[in-house]
This record gives sequence, structure tokens and C-alpha cells, in this order.
Amino acid sequence: MRKTVLFYLNGKRQEVGPEHAGLMLSDYLRYERGLVGTKVVCAEGDCGACSVLRLRPMASSKNLPQAARNIYLPINSCITTVAQMDGSSLVTVEALASQTAGLTPVQQAMVSSHGSQCGFCTPGFVMALTGLVEKKLCDGVKKGARCTPREAKNCLTGNLCRCTGYQPIIDAAVAIDLSKCASVKDQFYSLAQERELKKVLKDPVKFQNEHFSFFAPTTLKDAAAFLRRQPDARLIGAATDLGVVHNKGKIRLSKLLSLHLIPELYDVKKLSPTRMTVGSRVTLSELRHFLKDKIPEFAKFLDLFASPQIKNLATLSGNVSNGSPIADTPPFLLIAQATIIVAGPRGKRSIPIEKFYLGYRKTALKPGEFISAIEFDLPKKTESLALYKVSQRKDLDISGVNAAFRITWSDAKKTKIREVRIALGGVGPTTLRLPRTEAALKGLTLKSDPNSMRLNEVVEILHSEMQPLSDLRGTSAFRRVLVENLFLKFFREQGVLQ
Amino acid sequence: MSTLPHDSAHNHVRGLSEFIDDRPALRGEVFVEVLFSRQAHARIRDIELGRALKHPGVLGIYTAKDFHHNLWGTIFKDQPLLADQEVNFVGEAIALIAAETRDSARVARSLIRVAYEALPAILSIDQAKAAQSFIAGSRKIERGNVETALKSAPHQLQGNIIIRGADHFYLESQAAIAYPKEDGQIEVHSSSQHPTETQHVVAHGLGLPYRDVVCIVKRMGGGFGGKESQAAPIAAYAALVAQKLNRPARLILTKDDDMIMTGKRNPFENQYRVGFDDEGKIVALDVELFSDGGAYADLSTSIMERAMLHSDNAYFIPHMRVVGQVCRTHYHPHTAFRGFGGPKGVATIERIIEEIAHALGKDPLEIRKLNCYTAIGGRDITHYGQKVENNCLPELFERLETSSQYKARRARIQKQNAKALSGSSRLLRGISLTAVKFGISFTTRFLNQANALVIIHRDGSVQVSTGATEMGQGVNARISELVAQELGISRDEVRMMATATDKNANTSPTAASSGTDLNGAAAVLAVRKIKARLSELAIQVLKIPESRWARHTAGLGTEPEIEVSIEGFEKDKVNDPNADAIWETGIASYHGVTFKDGMVLCPNLDDPSNPKQVSFAALVNEAYHHRISLSDYAHYRIPGLSFNKLTGRGDAFMYFTQGAATSEVSVDLDTGEVKVLSVDILMDLGRPVNEALDLGQVTGAFIQGMGWVTTEKLHYNKDGALLAYSPSTYKIPSIQDTPRDFKIELLANDRNFANLRGTKAVGEPPLLLSLSVWTAIHDALKGLPEYKEHYPRMELPATQEEVLRALMPEKFARLAPSGKSSAP
Repeated sequence: MRKTVLFYLNGKRQEVGPEHAGLMLSDYLRYERGLVGTKVVCAEGDCGACSVLRLRPMASSKNLPQAARNIYLPINSCITTVAQMDGSSLVTVEALASQTAGLTPVQQAMVSSHGSQCGFCTPGFVMALTGLVEKKLCDGVKKGARCTPREAKNCLTGNLCRCTGYQPIIDAAVAIDLSKCASVKDQFYSLAQERELKKVLKDPVKFQNEHFSFFAPTTLKDAAAFLRRQPDARLIGAATDLGVVHNKGKIRLSKLLSLHLIPELYDVKKLSPTRMTVGSRVTLSELRHFLKDKIPEFAKFLDLFASPQIKNLATLSGNVSNGSPIADTPPFLLIAQATIIVAGPRGKRSIPIEKFYLGYRKTALKPGEFISAIEFDLPKKTESLALYKVSQRKDLDISGVNAAFRITWSDAKKTKIREVRIALGGVGPTTLRLPRTEAALKGLTLKSDPNSMRLNEVVEILHSEMQPLSDLRGTSAFRRVLVENLFLKFFREQGVLQ
Repeated sequence: MSTLPHDSAHNHVRGLSEFIDDRPALRGEVFVEVLFSRQAHARIRDIELGRALKHPGVLGIYTAKDFHHNLWGTIFKDQPLLADQEVNFVGEAIALIAAETRDSARVARSLIRVAYEALPAILSIDQAKAAQSFIAGSRKIERGNVETALKSAPHQLQGNIIIRGADHFYLESQAAIAYPKEDGQIEVHSSSQHPTETQHVVAHGLGLPYRDVVCIVKRMGGGFGGKESQAAPIAAYAALVAQKLNRPARLILTKDDDMIMTGKRNPFENQYRVGFDDEGKIVALDVELFSDGGAYADLSTSIMERAMLHSDNAYFIPHMRVVGQVCRTHYHPHTAFRGFGGPKGVATIERIIEEIAHALGKDPLEIRKLNCYTAIGGRDITHYGQKVENNCLPELFERLETSSQYKARRARIQKQNAKALSGSSRLLRGISLTAVKFGISFTTRFLNQANALVIIHRDGSVQVSTGATEMGQGVNARISELVAQELGISRDEVRMMATATDKNANTSPTAASSGTDLNGAAAVLAVRKIKARLSELAIQVLKIPESRWARHTAGLGTEPEIEVSIEGFEKDKVNDPNADAIWETGIASYHGVTFKDGMVLCPNLDDPSNPKQVSFAALVNEAYHHRISLSDYAHYRIPGLSFNKLTGRGDAFMYFTQGAATSEVSVDLDTGEVKVLSVDILMDLGRPVNEALDLGQVTGAFIQGMGWVTTEKLHYNKDGALLAYSPSTYKIPSIQDTPRDFKIELLANDRNFANLRGTKAVGEPPLLLSLSVWTAIHDALKGLPEYKEHYPRMELPATQEEVLRALMPEKFARLAPSGKSSAP
């Protein structure tokens, strides 16, 4: 049993115990290590100024491509505790440039393309761009290779800048000659380091002082037993939500249980040609990699949802167990007939996702229980699937409304509905399935109804099944109009409605 | 003209640039947190501090009575530093908690209980108007006979426009650290656009003479107007704690607290009546502007003045009356934000132009060009009587219309929209070309002054100090380039020093886009005083063999010291940075001596093709040995500003910065989602000092404005509390919102004789071009059957909900909670 967490920071070994392990990583870097290049603006993972690079050896499932494993990825240091960095290798902005080699090509491009003005967001942008370069280098680059504006924008969705209008940063990104970039991994990650990190990741951690306690077991059994004994302990996955709530002073992350040392939770695999499972420690970035070809609609949807920095930490299980009615993955999981695999003091049990949400931010998890995996359908190519998310700003915004539609057709021409599943977020206390709407649509042949009168009748049922509220993301009328429009849009896109 | 990068860029990218909270903690340093009001308007019955004071690490809690003077305010001293007996907005500071750690201070803050007695709150402009709750009196600027002209105009229309506020969202929140010094002095490091005011507010609040407070600003992580006035109380809070505890005190607002506490861009609700002829030429205009000033005056009256002075924008309006009134409400005191009042005046007249075009069934661009200021027919006098000199507007319209292929795109969009309206596509498109004419100068005359100190050291390297503050805009890069060019040395030889009130006192805020104009001119005047002396010295010493120069012989007693006498110049009386300069280069020359590439060259009468020369560093060293001053100071004031606030007439500005933009947008018929597809900007910036930095200002200002007109909505609850107080709820543009096609070009304009080197200020004007996005969204909707009769009037910002509502007003009405039909 270890009494400290271990990680590497800019190539140097750090062991941290209860005195500092409960700090947010950004605070630790800035106030304990004097690494003030990492900035904090929002303290909620929404601006990217606190981005650092993190590598965690072999934590990921073997079913993932190389590009998703063993690579430095940008994360938000403002909403993650130091304890969670156990077994990681971190790089901060200060370490990139060297006395001898000067600025890195990323930094030089940011200077030459005037990608920084006030400079406060700049370190975060440099780290996110360095992460992109790292990924490209991992994929292999030809001489003179550049990244595209699209790649640059996608990797910088999680970084806000208020001065430049971003265009100079995009210009900087595409100006980088990737073949002239040195890998961060080559500089800051050694075999010896990997050996040590891998070794310690097999050893549980437990420590505490009067202000902070931390336990990271290596088995589900130990985790459940601890949670039962210590009901006030907080189970943290990535803490991308709890970290925010902590920063806002609404809770204190002072007694933590982390599952990061339990190997089976990193599994992501197909269970059958039409069913798959995702362990609760699999990040959304890793999940996206795995699903890219299997459910392109969901993979694409994940691009709009959260920032790369968040997705490099956050998990599907976290998004589900959080219980927010506007969480973005539950609509998909509802129509994909997900089963929540729950571990607890008495072993595992399965809960169909329909039964998982009991009310506003209330789930069926009992004391001592936590999600260990989520299983869901891989829809067939012959089915129709669509996922929508509407928010004030298209990218990196919390939804006003989200929706998922899935039709299984009776015929190859996709005209007769055998089964339809619809799930909506943001229009009720939980994400909703719409049983009456679905029943009304079942068995319909849509082409025979060119005036869509039937669909208009269904719209009335649709409205009767939701209870949207007005809040800062939109009025109830706005939400109703959106749902109605998305519903009609989905059927229009099936080619069966003019 | 250069394209050198920002002078701190290499540090920014390495994370080495120091911001306030990056300063290492000094021994004994304490942390400060601010307890603020949760009520919009209430009497404070009691503040229960007991539990908080007992919390471990707490060193003291301070309230209004602890300040020597508790009132401050830039224009009117009406705002308490800490609320005393009554709170007037949610976020108003009530108490300061000082503790050993940040965490301790935060927890202690949550332990304080304030007992409020709620009072009625005024939470809209309408309520303020009804209650006659105003800040200062109504102002009016009028020309001609508006009523008669309106009546006689062939067409009239009237309407109103609702403009919401916006948060600055500077990345570095308000921050200050105060250090107690000997004899009760305070040194305060502040993230402030206005070190002088910060110094004064700190001194006044603490009861110190100004001489005992030094305010230092190294840089800000963004300002945008939000740190013009509102940085000062934050510094005063840190300073009070430093004074009370005699320990350094650090106050760094979280983004949440910053957004709740500080004021925003003023919301406006304006009414207009306009008369125009069959062609669309405006005959008369009557505009009433009402702004929400929030609870205290702050800069709102001055912002209103600029709105009134920009209600013409690019258009000549023969009979015009503009009336402005600031309303007092129970929101955070609204404040300066890039553009000041300009964007609100310009949004209004651009809406009016759009409505005229819609009423006449014409392309709005036609109406814009028709009404554009022009010297032809004397249509180049503003409603306040200032002639529009160096008027580039007609040229900007013509050139951008061509270069952005406006006509062809308009035709394409008409076809595309016809498809969407017939149901075969779900995207509408819109295009709009708008212009800006932005007056450069503070409208408050006394602010149009600056001073600068230039120090040349004996190795030839230079330090420059001015009152300008660096917030990312590159004012230091520009000033150092101006000074370096005068001395013929590289910019790297010139170090811009942190702005500090013990070197540059009585300065104006770095605001109104004027930073380089004012401080650059002062720096140029200062360096030229030294340059003139060095030129005269160069002529004299180059007559003598170098081995006998004083720098080799002085003080050694080995040979007689040479004596030169410098007449000097009466440079102190010069106030025009262009006076001694050659117009083409902007650089001055004295006695035919030139400073170039680190050398000083004197004319050689014996051999004209082979000038005598000495290195700059050697000449500087020689000057020292002749007891010639190598430092100088200069003061600059903008000449000729004659605007009379009482009559509303006169020259309010030194010159106008102008520009135009074409924006094309798509609007999703199902969701109301707007995409800005392409933007073409043509700016008149005179002759930029640094073109790259200027383009950066144009890009950044435009996108910032785009956020204001589209996604940035400040949601308040019914009790006046801001709900959108962090980036998860307040949506500034992200990198994905940058237009796919974004072109910016500068107009060649060598004729701005009014300003330093023929440059034009750039900070604010391009923000107003983002209104082209807002009008383009309206343009997309104009073809809908709903808008045959009237123009699709949306609020600003045109958020997704606002747009969707305008796209399908009937559906919204049907599905509104009161419309029971659909929600059984």
C-alpha cells in the first residue's frame, strides 16, 4: 500500500501525500511548484487556459489504436486533483522551450503568426497545439507535413481567446512544419519512467491527514467495501464535474475514492456484433476512437460535446451517473438500449438505463454502488439513427435540448417503421424516452402519408410527453419548437416526408 | 511600417509573462476575498461576522467604516467602495475578508450572514423611465428643424431597438496586490487600464496623499474597457487590507465573482422616427437613446455622449435630433467596453437604414451609399457640426462592394433563399455590407493628454515609460518601434517599462483607442528632444579626432578636456509630433544629421557622398561626458478639440477611423442556428506603425463584436441576479465560430495629417463592423412571408432563440406556456 501518489512533472519525479494531493492540479503547479505559466481563468474546464499535457502508461484498453494510447494529451488542470495524477507523466508550458533549442516550432509559429495578444490564454493554446502535434507525430508525418485548419480548430475547441479572434492562431497552427517538431514524449518520457509508473499502478494507495484522505484500491471489491464503510467518501472518476462544483465552493473534495487502479474498468470491447461494453474508466476520447467506424453518428456527436481537454479525462459513466437532464450521452444510450453495470458490496448487477434515472439528478445507485461499465447496442447499418444537440453556441456548450432518434425498419426500402426509439434531453427532469409517441409511430408506413397528417398528430403526442422549463438556456417555448422541428427534421431526413 | 511581433510574444508562448497572480508571494502575504450582495436593492440590517472571524487563518474583516473615504467614481463620486447600510445591486461589495490562505478567506466568506431588508428594485429601462430614475440629466444634440422636416418627408417610419449588454470576459479577472511600504506608503500592482485613477482611488479611500501611493501596471490579461474604471476599487480593497495589517495583500477575483460584481456594456433601448424620400435619402431623424447605467454613474454619461455622437455613423442626416438619457437601475454599474457608446449609436442607425430599405424594397447597400457622407453638396458635416475630414467612406463602400463581390453574392443568395422558401433546403442565407466611422479622441477634452519619459543609457540602450498600459493590443510594441525608428536603432534596444504613476503621473486611461496616438506622440516628442541634442553634439564632435573625445580622456587628467556647447532647441513648446518630421517617413532630422542602423551620420561638406559617422552608442557615451542630458520627458495634448457639451456642437474628434465589412451568414430553419460563413473587411487605418498588430486588432475586435451581436447573452433572473456568470453559461465566440472565409485588407491612406505619423487608431472601430453580421441575419429572414409588411426586428444579440422565434413566430405563440392548445 502506497502512502503517496506518484507522477512525473516535466521529467522530474514527484511524490505527493495528503498535504497537497487534494489541491487542484493548477493550484499545485502555480502555488506549490511556482509553475505560473499554467493559468486559471474559469476554474470550470471551459476555457483551456490551464491546459497541461498528460500521459498515462497503458491505462487504456488494448482494443484502442496506438494513437489513443500512451500519448501526451492536453487536459484541464483546474478541475482535476493532484491525487488523480497518480501514475501519470505531466508536461507544463515552461518545459517546452529550452535554452539550447529556443522556442518549439509551435511556439515560434504562435509568435510569427501573431497568435498571442494579451498572453493570458496563450500557454493553454500552446499546450493544446503541442498535443495536436504530438498526435500527428504519433501517426507519422511526411517531410513538410502540416495540419489542416479543421484539425487545428477541432483541437482548440476547448480554448477560449478574447483578443485575437482566433484567425491568427489558426494561421499559426497550419504554419507549423510537423516534420520539424520534436516529440514531447521523446524528451520527457523514458522507459525507466514507464517501468516505474506501471509498477506503482499495481499498488493501491491510501493516505490521509486531518483535511484530506485518498484511497485508490486495485479491485472492485475493495472499492465497494470502502464506499459502504465510508458513505461520506466521494467516488471520483475524472471529477470534471465534481471538480467544478468543488471550485465553486458547493462541495469539498476532501475524502476521495478513486477507481484509477482497477484494470478491468479500462476495457472497451464488442460483446457481440450488435452489442458493446465500455468500462467506467474509459475516457470519451478513447471511446470516440473505438466508435469512429462502428457508430459514426455517435462519434461525430462527441465532437460537439465538451472540449478535447475534458474528453481526455471524462468518461461515459461519469456523464451518465451525473444524472443531469441535459447530459449529452443519455439520449443516445436510451435509444441504444444501454444497460448500466453496477458494482456494489454484493457484486455486480445490471440496470436497464430506462430504470436508472429516478428523478432530477437522482439515479438508482444505492449506497456503496457505482457504475463499472455500460453496455449498449451497435445499431445496424440498416437502421436509421440521428443525434442532435442544440445549444446557444454550437461547440462546447451545455445543451438547451438534445435528442436521439432510432428507427428499425420493416423493409429494406426504409418506409415501414418496425420500431422507433426517441429520447430527449432538456425537456424534463431526466432524459426522457417517449413511449406514447413511439407507439403512435410503430408500424406506420410513412410514404403512404405524403401530407404527413399522421406525423402532425404524432407531434401533438410528442408535446404531451415533455415538460420543458424556462431557464437561461432557453424558454420552454423555445425547447418545444426545437423538439418539434428536430422531430420533423429527422423524418424529413429519412426521405419520407416533404 | 513593420510587422514585428508583439514585444512580449516570446514570453507569452513560454508562459513567462508575468500577470498579477503570477507574482511570487512575499513573506506574510495575505489573501483577500470580497463578500458581495445577493440582493439587488436592500437595506443591510446586520452583518454577522462572528463565525467568520473565528475561522482558522482569518486575520480581519473590513467594512465600509474602515475606509477613510468610502465614495469613489470617475465622473460622479457616487459609488461606495463598500456598501454602507444599503446595497444597490447583486454583486455590490459589502465586506473584505483577509486570511492567511485563499481557501481560508473563501470559507470564511461563506460563514458571514448578512440580514437584508428587501427594497423595491428597478430592473429594466422601462421601470426606470416610469420611476424617473435617472443618472444626470437628459442630453440633446440637434441640427436643423427635425419636426418640420419629418412631417414634410415623403415617407416616415418609426420603431425601436433593444440592445443588450455584454461581458468583457477578459481572461485575467480583476486583480491587485498591495505592498505596504515605509511611512505608510502603498505600492499597488493592479490589472488596470488607468493606473492614475487607481492610484487616486486607493489614496482617497485610504486617506493618503497621492504621493504616498504608487500604482504599477506591467500588463493586463485583457481589458476591453472593463478595467478602465472598475479596476480601481479592487486595488483599493487590496490596499486597505495591506494598510490595516501592514502585510502584502493579494486580491484575485474568480471569474464567477468578477462577472457578478463588475459592470458590463450598457444595455440600450432606443426609439426612432425617420423621414426619407422615394430614393431612400434620409431627410430627418429623431432618436431617443435610453441606456441602463446600473446602480451608479461610472462612465455611463460619457458612454451615452459617444452613442449620441455616433448615431449618424457614416450617414449625412440634414435634420437630426438625438436625445440621450442614462437610467439608474439596480444592476452592476455598467461601464466602458470597446467602442464605448459607439456601437449602440451605430446599431440604431444601421437598423434604421435597414428598415428604410425594406420599406422601399431596395438593397440596404443602395440606401447606405445614397446617404453616405460626401464632400459633394456639402454633405460632410456631422450633426454636431464637425466636418468629416479625410473622408474615405465613399471609397470604402465602392471598393468593398467590388472586392467582396457583393452584387454577385446577393444574386446567388436570392436564388438559394428561393429554394429554402419553397422547401427544398433548410438553410437561409443573408448578406450585409455595413461601414463604420469612429471618432478618435476622448470626448472629455482634458483626457486628451499624455506624457512620456525616455531614458538613454550609456550603452545606447533605451528605456521608455509612458502612461499607456499594455493589455494585449501592442501599445508598447508600437511606442518602442516609434522611439527606435527615431533613434535609428532596433526595437530590441528599446525596453518598455511597466507603467507606474511615480514616473508618469496625471495620465489618462488607456482607452478610446487612443493609447498609441497619445502616448506614442509624447514618447516621440520626448525622444526628439534628446535626438536634437545628440544631433548637435554629433556635428561638433565629429570635427575632432575620436581619440580626443571626452569619453576617452575625461577624468584622466592626461590631456585638456574638450568643451562643446550645445545650444539646445526650444523643443518644449512643440506639441505636434509631425512638426519636425519628414511626412513620408514620419522621422525627424536636425542639422541634417540622420540616425540609421545604429549609426549617426553627419553631412560632410568636404566629401558629401561620404558622411561622417559615429555609432549611436559611442555618441551617447560621449554625450554623457559632456554633461548632456540623455533623458527627457514630454507632454502631448491633442490640439483643436472644440466640442461644447452644453450646445452639442463643435469638433469632438481629432479624426475618424473608418472601415467597412461584408458578412454572409446562414440561418438554420429548424434550429435558428447562425453560421458566419464569410467576412470581408476593408479598414482605413491611415499608415499603421505596425501593420501586423493592427490587423490583429481588426480580427479580434470583429470577433468580439460578433459575440455581442449573436451568442453572448447576459441572463438575469427576475430578482436582478446574473445567471450567466461563467463561460459555461456565457458564450463568447469559440474557435469554431471564426468565419471559414475571413479576409482583411487595409485601405492605402497617406492623408491623415492630423495624427502622429499619419496613423489611425484601431482598437475599437472594427468591433462596430460586426454589426454587419447582425444585419445579415435579418437579411436572411427578410424574404419570409411574415416580413412582407414589416422588417424582422430582432433584439441584439440575435441569439439562436431570438432567431428561431423570428423564423416561426406563430409556432412560438402556439407553444408558449399560455397557449394551452399544444400542451395538454
